[in-house]
Amino acid sequence: MRVLLVEDDALLGDGVRAGLKQAGFAVDWTQDGQAAKLALETEEYAVIVLDLGLPKLNGTELLKWLRGRESKTPVLILTARDTVADRIAGLNAGADDYLIKPFDLDELIARLHALMRRSVGQVTLTLRHGDIELTPSTHQVRKNGQSVDLSAREFSLLHELLLHIGRVQSREQLEQHLYGWGEEVESNSVEVHVHHLRKKLGTTLIRTLRGVGYVIDKED
Amino acid sequence: MNSLRLRLILLLSIGLGIAWLVAAWFSHAESRQEIDRLFDAQLAQSAQVLLATTRHELRERLEHGDDEVPASHEYEQKLVFQIWDKSDLLMRSASAPAIAMASKKAGYSEAIVNKQPCRVLTRWDTHHEFMIQIAEPLAGRESLARHITLKILLPTFIALPVLALLIWFGVGAGLQPLKRLKQEVKQRTANRLEPLAMTGVPEEVAPLAQALNDLFVRLQQAFEGERRFTADAAHELRTPLAALKIQAQVALRSTDQTERQLALENVLRGVDRATRLVAQLLTLARVDPETAAMDYKPVELRSLAASVMADIEPLAHAKQIEMTLEDCSLSKVLGDDAQLGLLLRNLLDNAIRYTPAGGKVSVSVQNTNGISLEVRDTGPGITETEREQVQQRFYRITGSGEEGSGLGLSIVRRIAELHGAKLTLSDNDRGRGLLASVIWPAK
Repeated sequence: MRVLLVEDDALLGDGVRAGLKQAGFAVDWTQDGQAAKLALETEEYAVIVLDLGLPKLNGTELLKWLRGRESKTPVLILTARDTVADRIAGLNAGADDYLIKPFDLDELIARLHALMRRSVGQVTLTLRHGDIELTPSTHQVRKNGQSVDLSAREFSLLHELLLHIGRVQSREQLEQHLYGWGEEVESNSVEVHVHHLRKKLGTTLIRTLRGVGYVIDKED
Repeated sequence: MNSLRLRLILLLSIGLGIAWLVAAWFSHAESRQEIDRLFDAQLAQSAQVLLATTRHELRERLEHGDDEVPASHEYEQKLVFQIWDKSDLLMRSASAPAIAMASKKAGYSEAIVNKQPCRVLTRWDTHHEFMIQIAEPLAGRESLARHITLKILLPTFIALPVLALLIWFGVGAGLQPLKRLKQEVKQRTANRLEPLAMTGVPEEVAPLAQALNDLFVRLQQAFEGERRFTADAAHELRTPLAALKIQAQVALRSTDQTERQLALENVLRGVDRATRLVAQLLTLARVDPETAAMDYKPVELRSLAASVMADIEPLAHAKQIEMTLEDCSLSKVLGDDAQLGLLLRNLLDNAIRYTPAGGKVSVSVQNTNGISLEVRDTGPGITETEREQVQQRFYRITGSGEEGSGLGLSIVRRIAELHGAKLTLSDNDRGRGLLASVIWPAK
């Protein structure tokens, strides 16, 4: 779950990045609209957290530009302006949700999960596949009703594969979802995480297509 | 005397009174002249008649050698006259004196007869035989002239108070538009400052209404600025608060010791930043023109710079920045030393904040063609496009890695403006960095 965080305030941006990382997101953080635009042109994001008051290119303009390219990536805006008019302007510019500063980290995470669920057309809170259950909002995975302990990266990898059941995800795609900028991607890291997942959840869950990627097959 | 109405009445009454007096004087002079002509003519006629009627009697008397001068005559009640021959008084009315009333030259003259100012006509008969002097008291003429004048002007005199009353009401009615204006202005409040309607405002009052409207616009702008500032300030506080909350939450849920430590340190940084923002907001509020002391005193800039630099030295030292005060002449400006100190402190604070460790910050005071206080640093400078923006409230340059309040240069600019000086930012003329100058133009 790769998130683009666009926030010019260093302390707030740093906090949100750390908080989202704790919750298993891969976070790319840019501090101005222009850099965000560049990132959006080159990378694929599951969700965008956007501050409206940005230097160089403000949030509303960025949003309009994004919607102009018919991107469907859900956007949550962070704003210090709380009048109804401000909120309406943000939503009209193409935002899917908003939070008014100061906000709660848990609420931000919950709303991001909700946005991502909606964007892939998933209605239920929990992803199920056979005896595996994954609940993004609580960061929990169960097998046969028993809670399974997963690391943040393992959780994200499983989440990503469950969101695209039946579709092969390349190693690069998965790496992108797992790691933000500046985070060192260990070689074979995806293989290592898949290996751990198989150990914890069963060897048949994730199928490897050598040289292509990984997939969780549809249930018969 | 602050009533417009009373003032108008007084002025108009005095004016009318003077006009009335002038009119009175003119009509009196006119009637007097007319009366003089009439009475003189009458005097001449009387003299003629007297001479004609007495000539025979006089001649007889001369021929009979009768030298007794009859002291009475049938005209005595009305006329004062004497009849003379070349040397002697031949006849006089009872009221006439025994000596000549005027010179023997023919014509009109004025003389005192019987202790009364009189008009005297001297006339000789056609044979230059007898001379008659006939006198008539001037008092009669004067009283008649006065009488006529009074008769003419009395109605207007009576009309004066009536006129005053009419003026009173007229002025009241004339001032009605002012009253309406007063009502309109009375309805204006801090929240309701729309312009006064200019329709139906008389042209004498229009400048006042226009000036009021201009004032309303300025007031509205001031109030608007105030409101915007409060809103901006509140919003500006929200971001540091959000950062505090998030960092605290990150610290709470972190299982990693270093990560928690980092987040907690960030919480402290956030508190420091919010504190600084609040302090700067208060400073900006205090240098508002309303609260600025208007009793400025001469402030010597070089010694001011020296004392501010001494205060701020630890900050520079901690960053190993070399701070110098250049040799400069004494330059005095009128101002508030505390505020000017704050101005320089903010400039130096910025310079130290944005100059990398080991850099240089220098202060100089120039006194050629106006006075300028200059702060040079060896930091990254400010791009031309951002030079105006950084002077706006809450504008921060991104990517500087510094947590400014976004108010420092607003404070500098505000204080400079209050002191009649101007803040300009330019490239450091001695190489890399920024030159911030506060310039007092030459008078």
